[in-house]
Amino acid sequence: MSVLLELRGVRAAYDGVTVLHGVDLSVSAGQVVALLGPNGAGKTTTLRIAAGVHQVQSGRLLLAGCDMARAAPRDLARAGVCLIPEGRGVFPNLSIRDNLLMMTYTGRSREQIEELIFTRFPVLGKHASRAAGTLSGGEQQMLALARGLATDPAVLLLDELSMGLAPVVVSRLYEHVAEVARQGIAVLLVEQFAAAALSIADHAAVLVRGRVALQGRPDGALRAELSDLYLGSSK
Amino acid sequence: MNSAESRADRFARELADLKISDPAAGHPRLWQRLGAAAMAAGIVLAASAYLVSHRTTSSLTQGDAITIGLGGLTLGVVGAAVFLRYSLTGFLRFWMARQSFELNMLAERVFSGSLLAKSDGRLDSGGGSVAEKIPSGA
Repeated sequence: MSVLLELRGVRAAYDGVTVLHGVDLSVSAGQVVALLGPNGAGKTTTLRIAAGVHQVQSGRLLLAGCDMARAAPRDLARAGVCLIPEGRGVFPNLSIRDNLLMMTYTGRSREQIEELIFTRFPVLGKHASRAAGTLSGGEQQMLALARGLATDPAVLLLDELSMGLAPVVVSRLYEHVAEVARQGIAVLLVEQFAAAALSIADHAAVLVRGRVALQGRPDGALRAELSDLYLGSSK
Repeated sequence: MNSAESRADRFARELADLKISDPAAGHPRLWQRLGAAAMAAGIVLAASAYLVSHRTTSSLTQGDAITIGLGGLTLGVVGAAVFLRYSLTGFLRFWMARQSFELNMLAERVFSGSLLAKSDGRLDSGGGSVAEKIPSGA
């Protein structure tokens, strides 16, 4: 599997205050990497750097081996890096169909996008003319995911997919994410709630105060260490 | 997995072909300033040429002044167009982002308020749409 996204020694700051202190992370094609950690650990900043929205202070952002630390977000988006931000980012006053129409800038036709999305998410097809703001939280998140997939991404960056949703809805959404990864898309998933993300992740990294505190396969050992990090060590 | 590899390969190829623009270069601001400068210079040139042509009886000087005046007007119009293009882009981008944010806030306020008020205070658990949960006739 080829590595599509790699961060090497990435440091980042807001107004001179350093929030990432040399983060190393990589995501291969078809892999789901869960980036976990408490509030304020730097998870969203890491995603913003991967999408080119936030500039690195030092270190390297490699996409398919090319250093893209100075690339504009629009260039990365055009190439196939898709960030689905926290808070869904759908247009509430537009219908589902029109929300999807916004994604035709990638060159795909409306028909192609609707066929792809409505086949994968039949519930969106059923309510295609309904305003996005009238959908439930889960459906809105599904629409956000659908909008991302409509761009034909190679790297999918998901920020707090589970925010404000019931566990059953989160589990359904994660099934879609796992399916997306099986098609060869590299998925970097940022989550505050570890259990759901670890259920589909091939690899997990835990960020604490801007540093990767631990990473590895999401097996029992990692879960135990994660529990210690979140709740304090029992040793 | 072939299609996956081909997407990854295509991604690598597209990135390799990408001409990276430096986001810190601030081209729009530079063009905006150049446009404003050209607009001001054009107006000054045209006004100067008008005054020069009125202060002489020499038809040769007047001919030069007309040429300079027309050049100044052209420069002013082009400068104004460049200035408007880059200042409007910034304004409209900001306006669109603000509009989108406000609509989002409004929608969240309206729908969460309707839900809490009209469905026994139950919060949306994602099992159905908000519209479905608002009692009919409400």
